[in-house]
Amino acid sequence: MAANPMNQFEVYRIGPEIKIGTFDISFTNASLFMIVSSFAILFIFNLGSKKKSVIPNKIQLLAELSYSFVAKMISDTAGSKARPYFAFIFSLFMFVLFCNMFGMIPYTFTVTSHIIVTFMLAAFIFIGVTIIGFIKHGFGYLKLFVPSGVPIVLLPLIVVIEIISYLSRPISLSVRLFANMMAGHTMMKVFGGFVVSLGIVGGWLPLSFSVALTGLEILVAFLQAYVFAILTCIYLNDALNLHH
Amino acid sequence: MSKDPFKTRLEIAKKKVDKRNSNSKNLNPSPIGNAFKLSTELVSAVAVGTIIGFILDKTFGTKPWLILIFFFVGVVAGIANVIRSAKNMQK
Repeated sequence: MAANPMNQFEVYRIGPEIKIGTFDISFTNASLFMIVSSFAILFIFNLGSKKKSVIPNKIQLLAELSYSFVAKMISDTAGSKARPYFAFIFSLFMFVLFCNMFGMIPYTFTVTSHIIVTFMLAAFIFIGVTIIGFIKHGFGYLKLFVPSGVPIVLLPLIVVIEIISYLSRPISLSVRLFANMMAGHTMMKVFGGFVVSLGIVGGWLPLSFSVALTGLEILVAFLQAYVFAILTCIYLNDALNLHH
Repeated sequence: MSKDPFKTRLEIAKKKVDKRNSNSKNLNPSPIGNAFKLSTELVSAVAVGTIIGFILDKTFGTKPWLILIFFFVGVVAGIANVIRSAKNMQK
């Protein structure tokens, strides 16, 4: 096993090389774990919603709890107008959560520790929210960049600042998830390496750190999925209820 | 007595849900999430400002100036972001 802590983030090809033009679209370990987590979600929620008993069993309880958790999150942050987007936010939250959680199992690959994956998710949200804003408000959506009560002299500067802060949304959204996942997994690997190199004499301290870090990482995995979803709700709220 | 008891109970429950929705306006994600949110918001605005300055410099050929200006505008935008989300947290 390689001692390099960054080795775990390596993407490698599984199966034959597939190319369309100059694009390499081969099946990689990242794609494998995305598919695994998607199927895990489908499996759990199919099983949970198949038998609609009044007294739920464990899997039904899990499905119902996560439904009401996301529903409450949406109604708290974006109000009742955001109800039609429930399915999108729910699948987004579940996908990020399951990718993060699958990464916690040893020898698996963490899909969300790659910035391109998180950035694609964030860019998709950003473009979608912008389109929704323009559909709902037309060109009035541009009022988002012009706060009320600003003197006319300062207006050009304020508009530039607002545009930059609007464009920074997908970057902050993606970097947050990516950096947390990558830093956490690197740290776990480094402490794991210390356990091996210090041996049976001094290895107990980093081992206890590793145990504590695993708990922390599970918390972070959940929390980052939650933050990702709640920020999507907040951006959606900005687009639906335009008040600035 | 035309209403059946289930409907009455449903109405009471619906009213309860409405009431809860109206007064639970404060969103309360955990503090560690807030801390991550603030830090990345500051950094990403600076990054976007710098990238815009770099692209504009390339297109207009005004090599060092626009990137400098937009770097500082990005810093201002980042601080404004942080202040805005801190205000949202306190609401």
